Amino acid sequence: MAHVLVFAEVDDGALHDGSLACLGAARALAGEGGQVCALLAGAAVADQAPALFAAGADRVLLCEDAALAAYTAGPFRQALEAAVRAADAGLVLLPASTVGNDLASATAAALGAACVLDADAAAAGEGGPRLSRAGFDRKVLTHFAPAADGPVVATLRDGAFAAPAPDPARTGAPEPLALEPAPAPGSARVLRRDVAKRTVNLKDAKTIVAVGAGVGSAEGLALVRALAEALGAELGATRAVVDAGWLPADHQIGQTGATVRPDLYIACGISGAVQHRVGMMDAGTIVAINTDANAPIFRVAHYKLVGDLRTVVPKLTQLLSA
Amino acid sequence: MAGNVMVVVREVWDTRDLVSSPLDESGALKPGALATRFEPEDLNALEAALRLKDAHGAKVTAVSVGPPRDVDVLREALYRGVDAALRVEADPAALDDAALAALAAGAIRQAGGADLVLTGTAVTDNENALLGAHLAAALGVEGVSWVDAIEEFGDGRAVAKRAVEMGYEFVEVRCPAVLAMGVALLEDDPRTPRSAKAMLKLKMKKAEIPTLTPEAAGAADPAAAVRTRIAGMETIPPRAIASREVDVEDSAALKAMLDAVRKGD
Ligand SMILES: Cc1cc2nc3c(=O)[nH]c(=O)nc-3n(C[C@H](O)[C@H](O)[C@H](O)COP(=O)(O)OP(=O)(O)OC[C@H]3O[C@@H](n4cnc5c(N)ncnc54)[C@H](O)[C@@H]3O)c2cc1C
Ligand SMILES: Nc1ncnc2c1ncn2[C@@H]1O[C@H](COP(=O)(O)O)[C@@H](O)[C@H]1O
Repeated sequence: MAHVLVFAEVDDGALHDGSLACLGAARALAGEGGQVCALLAGAAVADQAPALFAAGADRVLLCEDAALAAYTAGPFRQALEAAVRAADAGLVLLPASTVGNDLASATAAALGAACVLDADAAAAGEGGPRLSRAGFDRKVLTHFAPAADGPVVATLRDGAFAAPAPDPARTGAPEPLALEPAPAPGSARVLRRDVAKRTVNLKDAKTIVAVGAGVGSAEGLALVRALAEALGAELGATRAVVDAGWLPADHQIGQTGATVRPDLYIACGISGAVQHRVGMMDAGTIVAINTDANAPIFRVAHYKLVGDLRTVVPKLTQLLSA
Repeated sequence: MAGNVMVVVREVWDTRDLVSSPLDESGALKPGALATRFEPEDLNALEAALRLKDAHGAKVTAVSVGPPRDVDVLREALYRGVDAALRVEADPAALDDAALAALAAGAIRQAGGADLVLTGTAVTDNENALLGAHLAAALGVEGVSWVDAIEEFGDGRAVAKRAVEMGYEFVEVRCPAVLAMGVALLEDDPRTPRSAKAMLKLKMKKAEIPTLTPEAAGAADPAAAVRTRIAGMETIPPRAIASREVDVEDSAALKAMLDAVRKGD
């Protein structure tokens, strides 16, 4: 297998977990003769390099430039294209985050490369890397392959690969990568960002009580919150609840929110759309409460409670304290 | 500014709540296992385009690659209020987003270009949401992904409200640009796409939809533009879940369940 390049995404001064998982995948896919190279790009990101070496990178390309202070596709794409050449990469892996998916598709389009977003699996194959993704309501696994020679770009979904345990014995010196020519003043410019700070840690939660549009109103949330408190659980939500403004975005679970694997997941008034299920279906035990006996959430639930959450949830809370 | 807006739309498999795999043993789609529908996010893009028409008098053209199968997405776009439609004659089944974008970009150029090109993000069947990025590259313009709404349009610029992990960012682009709409609309969302108008249905039922050959769209051999091919499809075995129903009226049963799940059973 050829060399593998990993894009190390840095958000708010911290490495994205997904980039570490990509390094794990890269190590597995590069095999004996292949090198794992990481691109570290930003305004001041050099302090992340040791973590990348420790997680399995053989080389770290460090591209520091004021134009990379905040993500916009133009300069980041330029940095990634330069890194693909410098690493002689046959495969480029990025986390399937907002930044990763945007950068992967823009870079692949610029390079004329094969690209697979949100891959659930990756393997080394005969004619190049084989990326696979669950589609058709997660009933079908589609395998993709490049149609021509050249690098393949892919983003890996959260959970597709485990992040390797850091090995502090692995060290190295990052190699500078210049952003040349200076990026053309792109026509795209972020005017302002309206993002919340994370207040819940859903990823590490052992128990999650999640709420969907079935809760009906912000007031209905109080019942669900009481159950979460009685269980010592974190509160999760569907996109419907977040879009309605009942809970902030950091509570969202699913394709565009967190992927969670708690021991216990209690879904209250959640229909179970595939974009939600993909983020929670690997929970140890799933309990679902829904008035609709045919709600798709029941297909992944171990315990099926058909009923109105406004009566069932308080009953559960009360049974817990009894 | 009035402006020219092109919206690229497609017909896709309807994969909502499939009860079982649509594949046969050989990994091919079973004939008749799936119906098709208007790609839902393309419908959102169409609605966003029509709002630019309402607010700024933009001229909206819908572009699609391939003949209709069950749903004629171009005629549907006419029924909802686009000013013109343009079809590229090619079989989309064998093409990836790179090849579709090459054809659509050629058609957009043929039609005189656009200030904004809108498309959806998600594709419900295979979900490789790459059309926007390839369109931007093929047209040589900036692309913005995951756009929820177009906040401003005019004076050669647009401001897109873009969904990011913990909220939104507001991105200004110079026109022309490609905006891939990634909004997930809820049932009673105020941005819900308008439905077809009876009057337009009558008027547009027989309207001629101009078609371009792949040559005329600048890609005589669209298959040559394919970058990512499908190497195979297989059914994901259904997860065997021991599921039991608990009577919500039965407090003892509920209590037993709580005890079991807290022990991790
Ligand atoms: C590209 C894309 C990305 C997306 N990303 C995500 C994501 O990350 N996370 C996510 O969650 N969604 C996501 N979605 C949205 C997803 O498709 C669904 O729209 C959403 O998950 C629905 O949320 P819900 O179950 O809360 O609401 P609904 O689908 O409206 O379901 C409400 C449920 O509550 C039940 N109910 C009603 N009243 C009661 C009651 N009194 N007691 C009990 N039950 C009741 C109803 O029977 C129904 O099943 C995405 C969509 C798209 C297109
Ligand atoms: N625009 C489309 N309309 C309807 N079906 C499609 C469309 N694109 C792809 N398909 C079908 O989905 C399957 C997978 O193709 P694709 O997603 O193009 O790789 C093929 O069998 C196509 O027929």
